[in-house]
Amino acid sequence: MSEPFIRTPTGIAVDLVADIRSWLAESAISAAGDATSLGNPVHRRLLGPIDLTADHDDPLAELQRQFAVEGSLGVMVATAQSSELTEEEAEEWIRSLQLILAATAARMALIDEDDVAALRGHDAWSVTTLQALISLLIDALDT
Amino acid sequence: MNEFDTDFLGGTDTLQKTDIPWDVILWNDPVSLISLVVRVIRKVFGYDKEKAERLTMAVHQEGKAVVWSGDKETAAAYCVALHGYALSATIQPTR
Repeated sequence: MSEPFIRTPTGIAVDLVADIRSWLAESAISAAGDATSLGNPVHRRLLGPIDLTADHDDPLAELQRQFAVEGSLGVMVATAQSSELTEEEAEEWIRSLQLILAATAARMALIDEDDVAALRGHDAWSVTTLQALISLLIDALDT
Repeated sequence: MNEFDTDFLGGTDTLQKTDIPWDVILWNDPVSLISLVVRVIRKVFGYDKEKAERLTMAVHQEGKAVVWSGDKETAAAYCVALHGYALSATIQPTR
């Protein structure tokens, strides 16, 4: 099996099958949608309050965080079919893969490592695939 | 004593209230890879590898760790940067 991410002189070459690319794009769209849905566990996980001593966070800071999440996931959607990413796009992929992973964990209500170890089937595949992609992309970026 | 000095003394209470140090708390989560957390801590705070690894292991083993302390505005900015990588982080006054 070839490496899915390989450093090139101009960025990171991406060698992923079409199904994985489509799954990542759909997952990014889904995470972005759930992140902006008040009451959704993904919203609480990705955009929950940062100052637990206050009644609510600074609205401007909340908006900035929402834009940042949407921006990162938007880059993944826009570049899901690309054969090569720039350094900046690859960094946004790391953010996006993490955001998708956190969204996935929130939907599955994963609290601790035992919950993760108990996963089976497609749920287990989703988590381990995202973790593997993150690890491989970090290796390629930091080479 | 000139006017500037008087103003400064008059504002001492305010300075004490606003200058309370704040901690950035990084919380453990069950799916983020240790290698990812180390990388993000190094990238966000500029720590060396050893310090980033020590903090990451503290988060992993204790459930949370203070990863930075200082003024509230900067703490909030660091917290937002950690959230950009979907890491669970909060800020609170230093205890």
